[in-house]
Amino acid sequence: MINILLVDDSVSMREMVSFTLNQAGHNITEAEDGVQALEIAQSNTFDLVITDINMPRMDGITLTAQLRGLDDFTFTPILILTTETSEPRKIEAKQAGATGWIEKPFDPDHLLATINKVI
Amino acid sequence: MKIQYNNSPSGLPVTLTGFESINRYWDEKHDIYAAKILPGEFYVSVSGELITTVLGSCISACIRDRKTGIGGMNHFMLPTDIRRNPNSWNDTPVNMQTRYGNIAMERLINVILASGGKRSNLEIKLFGGGKVLQIDTDIGGKNISFVKQYLMTEGLKVAAEDVGGIYPRKVLYFPKSGRVRVKKLINEHNDTVKQREKKYIKSLDTSPIEGRIDLF
Repeated sequence: MINILLVDDSVSMREMVSFTLNQAGHNITEAEDGVQALEIAQSNTFDLVITDINMPRMDGITLTAQLRGLDDFTFTPILILTTETSEPRKIEAKQAGATGWIEKPFDPDHLLATINKVI
Repeated sequence: MKIQYNNSPSGLPVTLTGFESINRYWDEKHDIYAAKILPGEFYVSVSGELITTVLGSCISACIRDRKTGIGGMNHFMLPTDIRRNPNSWNDTPVNMQTRYGNIAMERLINVILASGGKRSNLEIKLFGGGKVLQIDTDIGGKNISFVKQYLMTEGLKVAAEDVGGIYPRKVLYFPKSGRVRVKKLINEHNDTVKQREKKYIKSLDTSPIEGRIDLF
């Protein structure tokens, strides 16, 4: 079991990803945007962060860069989970410190396999 | 999402990058530029165009920001053939149908929000989901149930709907005003709608319902 911070503004997407991760026995903390995720990250540590990109208040790429500035998140794997397919955005995510990029719709088995690879 | 505007050729109004392949034209009858979408496509207009489509079993969500008048329409159905993907997730909330439908809705909403829309200003209208295809399962009904469940989960209200029934529909959506005109195709003699939907079903059942994964 690992502790995962899941960030997405879509309730239904959080439900789907949480369901998948729960089936694998992982422990999930949810945030609805980058600002809320950053607040949670100030006082908690996680083994993995999964974040959407397009969210109100703070997007997932800005969140990734901000998390990398926190001591507890320097080496924490951060996976982007997004509907975006743009190469420039992917490069931005990489430069911000993301570990990987998963395009929605995700395959539950492949999502879990990717998590196992990065933790 | 970074929103970029394209100056379109042939005097067509400005559109967002990513929608270049959508069929756009001057609609003489309604005296307005129009974008016509096909099964599996979606379009968001930032120029007050008319968006139109013809629906059989497929469903379209027409969504706009009431204040900015920026809005769009999608046109999709859920994949039908789960036999090709027999796995333990089929009877769960993350089955292939739900994952595909979820993204069809999220893509449309994301572009509207990225174009300056606010979630609290969204106005949503639903059309389609007819029992049009002569096959055993009520695909249209499943599409309607999915969209309603999705919107309820997301806390988004449906302002108007014309769904179900047995006839195909032609939908004309004016995102600037939110007005929608629906024409039931009761005397549809050709079967273009059915043929397009069957082709779409086949493409859904043969192409992967999964995005790319890249580790950096």
